[in-house]
Amino acid sequence: MKTISIDHLARVEGNGGIHATIDGKVVTDVKFTINEGPRLIEKLALGRTPDEDVSMSPRICAICTCSHKNSVLRAFENAMDIKITPKAYLLREMMHMGEFIESHSLHTFYLALPDFLGYPNAIAMAADYAFEVQIALEMKHYGNHIMKVTNGRYIHGENAIIGGFGKWPSREEMIFIKDRALQFMPFVQKTVDLFCGLEYPNSPNAETNYMCCEPGSGKFGFWGDEILISTGETVPRDDYKSVTNEFVVSHSFAKHSLYQDKPFTVGALARIVNLGDRLEGQAGEMYKKYFNETWKTNPFYHNPSRTLEIMYAFERIPGLVDEFLKLEDPASVVDYEVKDGKGTGLVEAPRGLLIHHHEVQDGVVSYVDIITPTAQNTEDIERYCHVAAQ
Amino acid sequence: MSKNNDKKLKIGIYELTGCAGDGLLILDCEMELVDIFQAADIQSFLMAKSDNIDGELDIALVEGSVSTEREIEELKDIRKRAQVVVAFGLCATHGGIQARFSEEEWQKNLKEVYGDIEMSHTKAVHSKPIDEYIDVDLYLPGCPVSKDQFLNFLVRALGGSPPEVYPNPVCVTCKYNENDCLLLKGIPCLGPLTADGCGAICPNHNVPCYGCWGPAEGANFTSEFYLLQEKGFDMEAIKKRMANYSGTKLQEFFEKFKKESQ
Ligand code: SF4
Ligand code: SF4
Repeated sequence: MKTISIDHLARVEGNGGIHATIDGKVVTDVKFTINEGPRLIEKLALGRTPDEDVSMSPRICAICTCSHKNSVLRAFENAMDIKITPKAYLLREMMHMGEFIESHSLHTFYLALPDFLGYPNAIAMAADYAFEVQIALEMKHYGNHIMKVTNGRYIHGENAIIGGFGKWPSREEMIFIKDRALQFMPFVQKTVDLFCGLEYPNSPNAETNYMCCEPGSGKFGFWGDEILISTGETVPRDDYKSVTNEFVVSHSFAKHSLYQDKPFTVGALARIVNLGDRLEGQAGEMYKKYFNETWKTNPFYHNPSRTLEIMYAFERIPGLVDEFLKLEDPASVVDYEVKDGKGTGLVEAPRGLLIHHHEVQDGVVSYVDIITPTAQNTEDIERYCHVAAQ
Repeated sequence: MSKNNDKKLKIGIYELTGCAGDGLLILDCEMELVDIFQAADIQSFLMAKSDNIDGELDIALVEGSVSTEREIEELKDIRKRAQVVVAFGLCATHGGIQARFSEEEWQKNLKEVYGDIEMSHTKAVHSKPIDEYIDVDLYLPGCPVSKDQFLNFLVRALGGSPPEVYPNPVCVTCKYNENDCLLLKGIPCLGPLTADGCGAICPNHNVPCYGCWGPAEGANFTSEFYLLQEKGFDMEAIKKRMANYSGTKLQEFFEKFKKESQ
């Protein structure tokens, strides 16, 4: 019996390792470990006010900070029956687009592409692909810029608050965002062609269940009030526990999840498998051009899926800005009273379905349950690595 | 710090337990990134590159709190290899939001979350800032650190100078920015007690400061506290708010406060 260990995976957002146990010629076990210690985030907000919780819980993850923000806000607004203005709703969506562009361009160009082209990192790639590296950096920067304009800063901004926003961005800032989106489109097209056209290694041919938010009204989108499973079932947000079933394993401080005893996958590929046929415009055309049945059984297609979503976001932004500017300027935040209640907020983080459930009792937070995409994907990661290692 | 011009500074960037926001902040310097990688010799940066070397370093930037036994070992090894160790971000400087429990509370909560399962790969310890285990040369607080602060630090380090200090509370920048004071509107803002450096981002957006840069060093706590009390804020609620981002350093903060008020 022998064990092959990669203690620290490189170019991933976080600190994890993979350990495969081999007996003769058979891979007997694969474990995906999270090296980080426990932070007990769900306990930190207990006894605190809802707004303190909204400030703290996005600190779970820097890369999905806006997804956490939108998710925790949806949870509290559901719990306390708060209805934000249509204008605030649009700005929340804009903030989410910024995160998707930033995170997806980081992941595809910086973390993944060097592997496919044989470089140790993206900066080393710059010698041969100066133009691509430069524009990709600008794309990532643009995503960050949107988060700063909407949420106050790149990472862990605080402008999005219960009931709306602290302050509206200016008209000029919004118009700049729209203009830049239009300018980027030719490069976005190149990005899609590059990643959808790459040859991907054959992978463990195994269908899995795919899960994501059901955005509703037949649209593509990054949040909703139901969970959609590739089997066709939908689950209302408050019943989320029936699909996720988190449990503790002895090799990771991140919990694992199973759906009806089977692992499942969330993330860009899950959204494209479940919702890709709803894409419109250029992204819709690209979906028709590139998507085929092999995507459904090969996790390498997460990267092409990410690029389709980058295109979706870039195409969505000009419309969002126009709608936003058309609306009158109401107060940026609606008045509300803190009251007792329980609420769940579902969003898609770049890495997949993110669930926040928060409860308020006597004006303070009494229970918190947060289910991150990593918790849901690890069972499938281990399974894929097992077959690949074999 | 080595000032040898024909030898690039060897820098290692390490992540312990946290949200990875301070490392990500470096990658968020998109327009400066190529220059950074040219000006310094980035020996290790797990999030960004795969050809990492664990050798002698001029500077080690350590992000995250110490939350497992394995991280204690890693940290000690980094200390041995690096001339200058920098606590990079609030988790490393103060322990981060995860460090505010007492040892008993932490034990109880850990059990509630993970049950009796013993982890096979490492043992958890209560989150602490890195100076609980090693000597730390420089502190860059912030949850996360800011881009200006990091670039400023790097440029100064390349020239052999220590980083800028932020002696003021958030209120000072807030006043420069001519914001309407939130405290006067009855909103519990921690600006008077929090280290400045972020540019008063939250009050700029009409949102109270939550204290994410940690307690201010030089602030006049006594008068600020009485001010809050005078304004009718509940002291217990303010202390709880303060504790969110003060990690293990809240105690020190209040001891100093007690001395000042005597
Ligand atoms: S709003 Fe906050 S940071 Fe600004 S002056 Fe008032 S107390 Fe200080
Ligand atoms: S104003 Fe306070 S909470 Fe907001 S970013 Fe600055 S230090 Fe952090």
